[in-house]
This record gives sequence, structure tokens and C-alpha cells, in this order.
Amino acid sequence: MSRMSIVDKTLGNLRWDVALPSLLAGFLVLLAPATLVAQPQCESLDPAVAQLLQAMSNNAQQASYSGVVTLQRGSDMQIMELSHSVSNGQASEELVRLTGQDARVERSGHPTGCMHPGHQLLRAANVLNGSFCGLASVYKFRVQPGDRIADRESVRLRVEPRDMYRFGHVLELDQDTALILKSSTFAADQRVLEQFQFASLSMRPGEPNDAVIAHEASHPHPHESAHLRTGVSWELAWLPDGFMATDAAPPESQRKSYTDGLASFSVFLEPLSAAIKPGEGVERQGSTVAYTRGVLLQRRPVLITVLGEIPTNTARMLADSVRLR
Amino acid sequence: MRNAESTGLGATPEETLSALADNEAQELELRRLLRELESTPELGDRWYRLHAARAAMHGEAVRPSAGFANSVRAAIDAEPALQQNSAGSFRRALGSFAVAASVAAVVVLGGQQLALTSAGGNADLVARVAPLPVGVVNTTGAVPVQASYGTRALPTLQPADRTAYRELARQRLRRYSQEHAEHASLNTPQGMLPFARVPVIEQ
Repeated sequence: MSRMSIVDKTLGNLRWDVALPSLLAGFLVLLAPATLVAQPQCESLDPAVAQLLQAMSNNAQQASYSGVVTLQRGSDMQIMELSHSVSNGQASEELVRLTGQDARVERSGHPTGCMHPGHQLLRAANVLNGSFCGLASVYKFRVQPGDRIADRESVRLRVEPRDMYRFGHVLELDQDTALILKSSTFAADQRVLEQFQFASLSMRPGEPNDAVIAHEASHPHPHESAHLRTGVSWELAWLPDGFMATDAAPPESQRKSYTDGLASFSVFLEPLSAAIKPGEGVERQGSTVAYTRGVLLQRRPVLITVLGEIPTNTARMLADSVRLR
Repeated sequence: MRNAESTGLGATPEETLSALADNEAQELELRRLLRELESTPELGDRWYRLHAARAAMHGEAVRPSAGFANSVRAAIDAEPALQQNSAGSFRRALGSFAVAASVAAVVVLGGQQLALTSAGGNADLVARVAPLPVGVVNTTGAVPVQASYGTRALPTLQPADRTAYRELARQRLRRYSQEHAEHASLNTPQGMLPFARVPVIEQ
């Protein structure tokens, strides 16, 4: 199948009548501060890339599919089963571990029209061109012919960061559905940190599964999610370009999460009851880093942890920018 | 890797040291080595270098202290029943277990070094375990060390802030991964896959 046909097809799948007004409204609210400081000149995003990103995000939420996925990090490989089904405008999804811990995570009753900030960034990649540059301001995209993966033909989307605050990605998207068949995350030195890959994919939902540990994942509404409160108001004085909050966390929330559409990180703050020797520690697993720092802020001992799929240096700078209010 | 002969009874103190750093030394050799360590200070330096090199290879920041030899001896002496037996695989396993436990003690207790307490010196390390403000849970090696040492004095330790903070980062990764994955799964294109990065899924 040629690339033209994917684009036609994905455009056909988009429900612009529904998606566009709500998307624009959501953006104007969420990005009000960002638009004030946005540079007038945006890097233009190839329309084919924008359509691919929109289709990728849209179909991941609207389509029914299931398959076996591998996650490789260094020499470690995990295998899991993934299932996504849609009925009556509600999506149910499930991840079942086939190696290691006998566990299942499911999220059900998620309205397909519910679009979280990360997906808004993906789908609006060129909609607001001119006022907010979105993904194109922080990543460079290139479309190339892809490999055959899980018995399907793919299109390769090479995603290179424009700064050093995030990782690069290579996404191999299914030619028919734009679902991600394989995604690799790269460090600045081109080392592969992590790789997800479908071993098999079927466009039907999977069978129900019984696992020992079953976790019902939440789908926090951007404005109504529950927060563990620390009793300390804090904020980040710095955010890398292109990142926005995933939900409206109150100032004293223990956790605040951010996304740039392709990567995400969370910052956690714990006020301590006693003093601690100042210091820092790092643990990296694949593309995930946990950076923990013990520090005195306004003479209060706190422990800051930045956890996410970002370079260690970004995590360190974020921890550095935490301020008490 | 060393073969069985080189760690046998004919081994030189240097060879035994090297085997010890790799947890491959036998108990009889260990005892002889410990005697030599007391009379030959250069051997102590060599132990330190070997062990530091091995620790670096494994990405650990372990700093064996001068009292290390004594603590290993104490660990072996704490098993009187076993001294009656002749050398055997069980015995050898316990000998290297004692060594491993001693090393683990340094790593685990590193976690306690973060607590800022006025307790000076190294007399009462056990007392320092309680008031740690950051909720570090002793993980790897904690139980075997307790079983091995009982209520005996623990080895003298160097400050190990770096090790302790790394352990803290590791534990925060476990504690917060699932909460982070909730948001990552809704805000990155891979759907539920971020949950695959969570070390242990909790209900």
C-alpha cells in the first residue's frame, strides 16, 4: 500500500466535526500562558507527519485491537498481552504480563472522546500552527519506509529532539491503522534505551484474562483528579519547552506530572520530619530515570524525586527548579 | 575465572585475596588469610584495591573499612557448630555467605548514613537505624546480615551517602512508578504500555 493511501484513510477516520472545536477550546484554556510567550515563527510541520501523528493518536483510542508485545531494556525482556476494545463510545484496555509478575492492569469505561493533554499535543500538531508551535518546536520528524513487523507493513517516523531535554524516538506505524507496531527510544549518543514491539497484532479485542494481581487503572480527568496533599505548596520554576501539565494539580499536591506528547515525567515532593544530609541519587531502568534529591528549601527538609522517561540531566534541572511558595 | 586449584590450600595470600573479592575463597584459606592480614599491612591495602575494583565493576560504591577482616572473622567464629566439620561444599557456601553478608552490611547500612543525628563515633550503629526520616526500607541482604551477626557489633563503616541516595532513588522508583504510569499511559502514544515499566504492579 502506498503512503498516499494511508493519509487518505487516516483523514477519513478523523471526526473533525467533533474533534476540532473541543480541541481548540481545550487548547486555548490549557495553553493560555504558553501562547503569550510563543515565538511567532514556528518550524513548519510536514502535513503528512501531522496527519500520521493525528491518526496514530486517534486510532490508538478508537480502534479495537489486541496482540503480544515485547519490552526490551538492555538484556532484559518482558512479554505482555495488550488488548483494546471500544463499544458504545467507551474504550476498555488491558495489559497482562506474561513474564515475571502475574499481573494485569485494566482501564475500562474510558470515553473515546476524552482527550488528555498528551494526545491533544499529538493531534493538534499543526492545527494551532502560528500561535503555538507544539511538537514541531521541540522535535524534528522524518517519514521513511518501515520494516515488516508482526506480519504487517509499517511506515517509520523518525523523531529527533531539537534540544537536550528529551529523548529521540523511532516509531514504526502500521500502514493501515497508524497504530504503533514498534517504538524505540534513543539517548543523545544514539544508544537504544528501550524498545516496545508487537510480536503479533490482530484487529480484534483479546480474550479476558485472570491474573493474581489486577490493578484497575484510573483515568483522572484533567481537572478533577485526586491528589495526595503534602501540606506544602510548591512549584517548578522551570519546565523544558513543549511540556505541559497532565492534570490540574493543586499547589500542595505530592505529585505533578507533565507531558510533551511523546514523553512524560512526574515530580514528587515529600516534606521530611527530620533533617537529612543533602545529596542526590540516580537509578535508570531503560528510558526511565528516578532522580532523588534531599535538600533544605526555606529551611524545611524535603525529598524531591523526578521520575520519567527523560535524560538524567533534565531530571536534575527539574529537581533544581522546585520552589516552595 | 579462577579454577579450583588456584583457590586451594596451595594458594598464595594474593590469590586468596583475589578469590575473596570474587566471593570464591574457601573458609580454611580465609582463616589463614585473616592471620596474614593482621601481620602484613600491605595485604590490607591490596584487599581494599581489589574489592573497590570489583565493586566498581558491579556499579556499587562499597568502601570496605580497616575493620573488615575482623568482622569477617567474627562472622565465621559465630558459627561454632560448623567449625567441627571438615571442609565441604556446605561449609564453603557458608564461608562465602559470611563474606557476602559482610559486604551486604556495608551496603545496607549505607542507607542509615543519610540520617542526620548527633550520635558521634561508630559505637552504636544499631541505634541509628530507627530515626531515618526518609522511609528507607533495608532491602537486599538485610535479613541474612541480621541472622549472621545476631546482636554482635556491626562492622565500622565509612560514610556512604552516595550509596544511600542511590538506594533511595531505587526505592522511590518502585514506590512511584505506578502512579507515574497512570499519567504516562494517558498522555503518551503507547497506551497502557507504560505500565510495563512498573517494577511491581500493585492492586
